[in-house]
Amino acid sequence: MMAGICCGVVGEGEASAAIEPSASRTLKRRKMELLTYKFIADVAVPTPVAAAATAPVKRQKLELELCPSKTPSPRECEGGGSVESCEARANKDAKYNLACENSTPVLVAGKEGSQVEDSKYGVTSVCGRRRDMEDAVSVHPCISKQEAGHFYGVFDGHGCSHVAMKCKDRLHEIVKEELESEKAASSSYSSAQWKETMERSFTRMDEEVQAWNDSDEISNCRCELQTPQCDAVGSTAVVAVVTPEKIVVSNCGDSRAVLCRNGVAVPLSSDHKPDRPDELLRIEAAGGRVIYWDGPRVLGMLAMSRAIGDNYLKPYVIPEPEVTTTDRTEDDECLILASDGLWDVVSNDTACGVARMCLRARKPPPSPPRSPGSDDAAARVVADSVAESSNKACSDASILLTKLALARHSTDNVSVVVVDLRRERQRRLS
Amino acid sequence: MSLAPSSATYLASAIRNHSPEHESFQKFYEYWLTEQNNHLQDLISAANSTPDEPTLCSLIDRVLKHYEDYYKAKAMWSKHDVLAMLTPSWRSSLEEAFLWIGGWRPSMAFHLLYSKSGLQLEATAGSVGGWLKGMTMARDLASLSPGQLSRLDESQKKTIKEEKDITEKMAKKQEKVAGPDMVELSHLVTERIMSQGEPADQTEPNRVESVLVPKERGLEEVLQRADDLRLRTLKGVIEVLTPDQAVHFLIAAAELHLRLHEWGRKRDADHSHH
Repeated sequence: MMAGICCGVVGEGEASAAIEPSASRTLKRRKMELLTYKFIADVAVPTPVAAAATAPVKRQKLELELCPSKTPSPRECEGGGSVESCEARANKDAKYNLACENSTPVLVAGKEGSQVEDSKYGVTSVCGRRRDMEDAVSVHPCISKQEAGHFYGVFDGHGCSHVAMKCKDRLHEIVKEELESEKAASSSYSSAQWKETMERSFTRMDEEVQAWNDSDEISNCRCELQTPQCDAVGSTAVVAVVTPEKIVVSNCGDSRAVLCRNGVAVPLSSDHKPDRPDELLRIEAAGGRVIYWDGPRVLGMLAMSRAIGDNYLKPYVIPEPEVTTTDRTEDDECLILASDGLWDVVSNDTACGVARMCLRARKPPPSPPRSPGSDDAAARVVADSVAESSNKACSDASILLTKLALARHSTDNVSVVVVDLRRERQRRLS
Repeated sequence: MSLAPSSATYLASAIRNHSPEHESFQKFYEYWLTEQNNHLQDLISAANSTPDEPTLCSLIDRVLKHYEDYYKAKAMWSKHDVLAMLTPSWRSSLEEAFLWIGGWRPSMAFHLLYSKSGLQLEATAGSVGGWLKGMTMARDLASLSPGQLSRLDESQKKTIKEEKDITEKMAKKQEKVAGPDMVELSHLVTERIMSQGEPADQTEPNRVESVLVPKERGLEEVLQRADDLRLRTLKGVIEVLTPDQAVHFLIAAAELHLRLHEWGRKRDADHSHH
């Protein structure tokens, strides 16, 4: 189970130094695929901003090409990804990783094609100083056919990891279904519509977890799926759906989403702690109690007031998310989603400062003048390197935040997702 | 040709004489500690200068070989007396209190790494900019790359899993102490002592031996697996690190080991005086 549960640093190896012929060939091929990909997007829609304004018909068509089911396999956390294989290969040839020493493996990073805007992110998720891995992370670009929306979720399980894993496997699909069941394109969604959609999704997620618990599915979980223990398993869920116009954050539990806007940390979710005044009132109104036992806990047991799962604490602990809808601005730099393994030891401001610094540190090469219709190759390369440096920057940020959490003695699993929100222009300028 | 006493020559002579005695492992261990201390000095001076990579690698190989020798010796002495190896009198009671199956807990290696890496990262952190610099430029453990962290995380999870498996194995061995054979024999021997006044050590010595010997074998097997995991974990961590980083990790490991030993020794001495 452990191996399945645990997310590694997700990544795609990009060794700057050639490591081994076959390894670099594979990397090159992969890069080529991405280039082609990017190329299509570039030709059709010169800039993301302009893309938002192009005719819907055109976008629709592009979508078919760019967001098909064979979209490059969603980079879920599957322990290590190709960074691992890259270095493992290198190790055969050189002891102590000599060959990889100067390479910069990228943990990455998403560069998923989309007609409007690539999803650029970095993910790090480690076991850290805990003996069990109960965090899960899921990233799914282009979850909706109607509208480019990228899905990012962090789930911090408790009791066992199976609820967090279920959320990782299913929540994006549920959100996708809910979005598609709406007639209106999500771009025209009001905040209220987003709220409804996300609330329905979380409710369904919770129901699925319950149904799964009730079924006799064989499992080799640590909790061995025995009721009542199994009822005492749950997970936080913080999910961000990022569209060209909006950031929709739905939160349930004590994981957190923070927006870095012009250097200022703007929390987009508020932790569900049992002693949060409104949560305390809600719990007591439902007939529950908050008891201080190593901190405030619902019925003296759970140290958060909302979660997916945790049947034994219903109706005091609820799966209903709080949803915030934020209009994107030119000042937005990045979005950080993380489990409390980070937030317990790193403040919003520090996290923002670190992420911002990482984004700014990797400057893309200056862009050569671009004349329409000529020198496509050069344009391609530039576009590619801009995207790439952004991915690396996001990875830098997620890894540095994780290392910082470990350095500050975080005793929990640490999962961090950093999403680049800068528009193309900003990226070049910063 | 006479060699200066060392753990290696000591081990060699013990192998030749086919008589690894309990006392002699203690002697071996003392030599080994002295050598570890020498290696520590070499590692520290390597960290403070900038030797070329082959030099660093050969130093790391030498230190790893030294750990290997330790486990070779331990395996040999275990065959002779596994019980002594599980309750090592050459360790201080402080160290003993933290032992896992006769040695250090393998998953500690990752905590050691995270702690050292964290300290070195914080040391670069005069400013936020320092962190980034530390992360990418440092020659020490502050510079762990994403790929490295990913591999370490995987390796940590595997180690913890194996550690749990071995702990379970040990649990089974321990529970079997109260198995029917043991309960029956202890009852029988007690009766004979009580009713017939037989001296305890002369009652059914062969049967006692035949029950206890396989138990010791079982323990030896568990200890062997635990030691194997310890050595593999250590080597696994080193393999992920660059030579520069490995030196820092080995320094931290030796420092912690040597100082714990000394503190424990001092504590034991203080307590025996009172």
